[in-house]
Amino acid sequence: MRQRTWTERSVVTALGAGLFLCAGGLAVARPPEQQERHFKVKERPLVVLQNIVNGRIEVKSWKNAEVVVTSSAASDKVAIDVEQVGDRIDINASSLVDSAQPHEAEANFQLVVPEQTELQLKTQTGLILVEQVNGDMKLQSVAGDVHLKEVSGYIIVRTTGGSLVCTLCSGKLEFTSISGNATVVQPSLNNVNVMTTTGNILYDGDFIHTGFYQMNSGRGLIEVRFSGNDSFDLKAQTSLGTVDNQAAAFLKPDSHGNHASTDKFRHSLIGTVGQGLAKVELSSYSGTIRILKRD
Amino acid sequence: MRCKELEAVLEQEGLSPLPPEAQEHLAECPDCQDFFADISAIAVAAKQIPAEENPPDRVWISLRAQLAAEGIIREEAPLELAASIPWWQNLSQLFRPRMLASVGAGILVVLGSVYVTNRPRLNSAQHTPTSQGALTSSQPKISEAAESLAPAPVGSAPAAAAKNGSPTARVTRVSVPPLPREAPRDLKPSPSESAYLGESAAVLSATESALPGRQLAGNAMADASLRANLRTLNEFIAECEARLKQNPQDQLTREYLNVAYQQKAELLTAMMDSGRSEH
Repeated sequence: MRQRTWTERSVVTALGAGLFLCAGGLAVARPPEQQERHFKVKERPLVVLQNIVNGRIEVKSWKNAEVVVTSSAASDKVAIDVEQVGDRIDINASSLVDSAQPHEAEANFQLVVPEQTELQLKTQTGLILVEQVNGDMKLQSVAGDVHLKEVSGYIIVRTTGGSLVCTLCSGKLEFTSISGNATVVQPSLNNVNVMTTTGNILYDGDFIHTGFYQMNSGRGLIEVRFSGNDSFDLKAQTSLGTVDNQAAAFLKPDSHGNHASTDKFRHSLIGTVGQGLAKVELSSYSGTIRILKRD
Repeated sequence: MRCKELEAVLEQEGLSPLPPEAQEHLAECPDCQDFFADISAIAVAAKQIPAEENPPDRVWISLRAQLAAEGIIREEAPLELAASIPWWQNLSQLFRPRMLASVGAGILVVLGSVYVTNRPRLNSAQHTPTSQGALTSSQPKISEAAESLAPAPVGSAPAAAAKNGSPTARVTRVSVPPLPREAPRDLKPSPSESAYLGESAAVLSATESALPGRQLAGNAMADASLRANLRTLNEFIAECEARLKQNPQDQLTREYLNVAYQQKAELLTAMMDSGRSEH
């Protein structure tokens, strides 16, 4: 009798432990909690998002005068606060514990905003994706990449190691990074200032007349692909790198009286494409600067 | 005593015990009582304001590197307080070349205006060419002076952005005819500039060594990226410094070094902030 009771107790204990483990497993594997909030705004709102945990931020636009914030936190160890003050919407995501695991300290955001919206987004490691938004924006990331598509305005992007891909962007672009790359494709930008210490820079597109384009990389490759219709003054210089001019047939001596530097410590190339209406300045410390014409 | 006299007493002596006459007036005058109450409330509130905290050194270094990169400053401004300098040293400042030049220029202006006021009147036909000649001859000097005061390093990202970003700069570029370029000056860094770089490096190193060994920001990936990029910057700075040691006149390398120092200061700030933002 006593033996049987002991066996029953063991079975009950084992079943209990099994149930507990299953419940724990379910808790770990449960889908992130998703919240959707709507905010009525006027024509040109400002959205400020500070995500100091891991996570992705996606911003898309629509015609409505409303901002929709959809957030999902991977665990209850992340706090998400959303607040509206007039046309300003503040979103904050922070970790509630000191040493959460990477998958626990994660919050993802999807924002839908009016087309004319100003953005200030800051994240640590996730991707920032912005599409079809017209407005000034400041985007900051440590290791996350920044992808922009069909955006316009004064665009400021700062990363530590994240890269920028800017497709069909217009307005003014400033990019600063230590090891991130910058890829600018089919732009309509009239002012570009790109600086990366070790990253590569690719500019593939037209130079707007009277525009000013400055691209600097310490160690990386700078590649500029222009079209036959472009018109710009070019100044490329490097301390220890090389200037690889693959468009010599299109590059005339500078028509505005600028001459190659006599500085013995730098290699430089100065010339003009077309009438020299835009101004392009490329510089590197030890990387290669390549200039070529698109087919 | 009248209200204005009481105000004067408060202005001169503050809220220290008032003279008997002022106290008598204050006891009788409701306006002055209100005024006195306001002043007292302000004084109490002012005492509760916490003392200002100086920003960390790395902020100043970042700022200084930015200004140096833009060519706005070339050397450190003296930091001594005027009050701590004895009066005879202040007197000796008067005989410094810059001060003498300013005084000389002032005297010339005064003499010139006296001459213009007292000179015989010329007709406009005679006058115009003279003034134009004076203007054209003075233009290069002004330009050269401006260039020597604020040299804009060629190819510098911030400098060129400032140069081309401002509408004034664009107008100048279009309207002023090209002027003869100033002969290239000696680009060797001044002792103060070397000291500045050394000081910056020392402060940044100190900040770097003060970074906690534990993970910053509760985010392993961000922490790894920050630290990896710090190593990248340190390597780049070392490379630039080695190059500059061999070729002190390499201006382009100097510009990259300045930018790297600035980035390092910003990165360290971000790292320290990450560490602090952990609740």
